Amino acid sequence: MDNSIEIENLTKIYSGRVTAVDNVSLKIGRGMIYGLLGQNGAGKSTLIKILTGVLKSTSGTARIAGNDLNKDSLKIRRITGVVPQDLTTDGDLSGRENLKLVAELYDIPKKEAEERIEVLLKMVDLYDVRNRHASAYSGGMRKRLELVCGLVNTPEVLFLDEPTLGLDVTTRENLWSYIRSIQKEFKITIILTTHYLDEVDSLADELSIIDHGKIIISGTSEELKKSLNGDIITLKLKNDDEINKIGEFKNATEIKLMENKEIRMKVSNSDEILPVLMKYLSDNSISPESINIRKPSLDEVFIEYTGRNINAEQENKDYAKFMRAR
Amino acid sequence: MGGLIPLTVRDLKRWYRNPVSAVVGVIQPIFWIVLFGSAFDIAKFAGANTSAIFEGAPDYITYLMGGILTIIGLFTGMFSGINIIWDRRLGILQRFLMAPINRASIVFSRILSSVVRIFIQVAILFGIAFVMPNGLKIVNGISILDVVILISAVLMISFIFSSLFSIIAVRTTKMETVFGIVNLINLPLMFASYAMFPPDLMATWLSNVAKYNPVSWSSQSIRMVLIHGSLTSSEAHTVLIYMLGLLALSVFMLVMTYIVSNKEIRE
Ligand SMILES: Nc1ncnc2c1ncn2[C@@H]1O[C@H](COP(=O)(O)OP(=O)(O)OP(=O)(O)O)[C@@H](O)[C@H]1O
Ligand SMILES: [Mg+2]
Repeated sequence: MDNSIEIENLTKIYSGRVTAVDNVSLKIGRGMIYGLLGQNGAGKSTLIKILTGVLKSTSGTARIAGNDLNKDSLKIRRITGVVPQDLTTDGDLSGRENLKLVAELYDIPKKEAEERIEVLLKMVDLYDVRNRHASAYSGGMRKRLELVCGLVNTPEVLFLDEPTLGLDVTTRENLWSYIRSIQKEFKITIILTTHYLDEVDSLADELSIIDHGKIIISGTSEELKKSLNGDIITLKLKNDDEINKIGEFKNATEIKLMENKEIRMKVSNSDEILPVLMKYLSDNSISPESINIRKPSLDEVFIEYTGRNINAEQENKDYAKFMRAR
Repeated sequence: MGGLIPLTVRDLKRWYRNPVSAVVGVIQPIFWIVLFGSAFDIAKFAGANTSAIFEGAPDYITYLMGGILTIIGLFTGMFSGINIIWDRRLGILQRFLMAPINRASIVFSRILSSVVRIFIQVAILFGIAFVMPNGLKIVNGISILDVVILISAVLMISFIFSSLFSIIAVRTTKMETVFGIVNLINLPLMFASYAMFPPDLMATWLSNVAKYNPVSWSSQSIRMVLIHGSLTSSEAHTVLIYMLGLLALSVFMLVMTYIVSNKEIRE
């Protein structure tokens, strides 16, 4: 099967110190939607910047649609579309002018470009404000403009770096239905980073979890969930005594102490174990503040492999980023 | 060079849509000529010797024209690189780096747009210099060749300095770097040259230094064609040497800029 992207031992060390991408190797099949999951600073954007030619890797290489990253950069740039995490549109130009400029940079014939720009502007509901300067757009409108800039050249390979951050639900849905439709029609490959795990879960054919620049695990969402071997029960306890006692509970396959006196235990089947656990708690007079039972989800997968929640402190950061991006 | 024209058009749009930069661009030449040319009427002191001191010019404004035109080229050129840093800080540069264009056109679009702006400023400057009382006097006529020399001298100066500053801007993320360097070198470039004063009025060491300053070459060439009209063969020879010097420097700097920007420009 032909791969659209083959990454080999890619490493990026910023200014000699920060290793943002650490010896990453990855194969992504043609026509696939591929998710990259990782906390802030994991190295997702850096990886995308290298693959789109904005940054040079420190070592390693990659092939995109058969073109070598270090040799055929121009060819690669012609067939890729990018929606970067940062805003890249020009506030002094109108929405339409921004798209026209992009179309010119990709050498798209004028008439074709005009038709496509109209379709794209309508898709993200910016057609009515197309002649307004982008600096006068709201944060979400600006982000929508950014999105369609990456689609002007109907790319073969599309990189989406947190494309839906700060967008309202309707726009998110419009975007995904548009992307699914062009993906089917043109068999484009999509690499997607997002903090919305539900998006990855429902959209991505395969995904990788990336942490500190390294790929921790890859597979389909189903495979990753299966790899957890059971359900997760979390208990919030009050003191160390309770923590010690719960540590001796035999029916869990794994018990971990998390932050804030939280216990995370893995059980083969929560339906059967729960009554046993309840009895154990009352026998040992442990009274948790809360009990939470979860079937495997991508959130759980993420915690399992990185030891942290993908959206820890995320809400604040999203907001801060969103404000900055404006 | 794919992308050159659209990027140049975009840069010019930003310029004329920003009221401050557009107005400054128009007013600046007026200040130069009105303030420098008439406020400092050095010829008052020189009296009947004016023409002798100022290389045949009937007055100081006429003498100064070559210098001011050169300085317009110099300043606009020096600041043309700064927009690249702006784009980098705003994130817009990323969009250009991802596009399938020769990356040198990101830099050359800036140089090209500064050329357009220089032409506009030069035209305004001439208009004002002619209509203002006691303004520019072209006594000995002016030929097409003279105009060509005048324009090429200004362009080459702007090429030399826009290239220099573009090379700096290709990598730096700090505007302060460029402002610092501009502040450091603009005074020596202007005053250690024949842009404003003839060599006879300078300390000997300074006029010796000024001889090698391309700002002098351009100022003198423009001045000679404006003052003398038809040149004697020895004057023509001097102008030719200056112009060849400017040409060699511009070609060298532009080639360097092409190589550096094509290879090294980064986010
Ligand atoms: N220009 C830079 N210079 C130095 N270090 C950088 C630079 N850009 C990013 N880094 C560092 O590289 C690491 C990876 O950053 P990157 O932006 O790739 O993360 P990310 O996974 O995209 O995070 P986020 O979810 O916040 O977007 C971080 O530690 C970051 O501080
Ligand atoms: Mg990122």
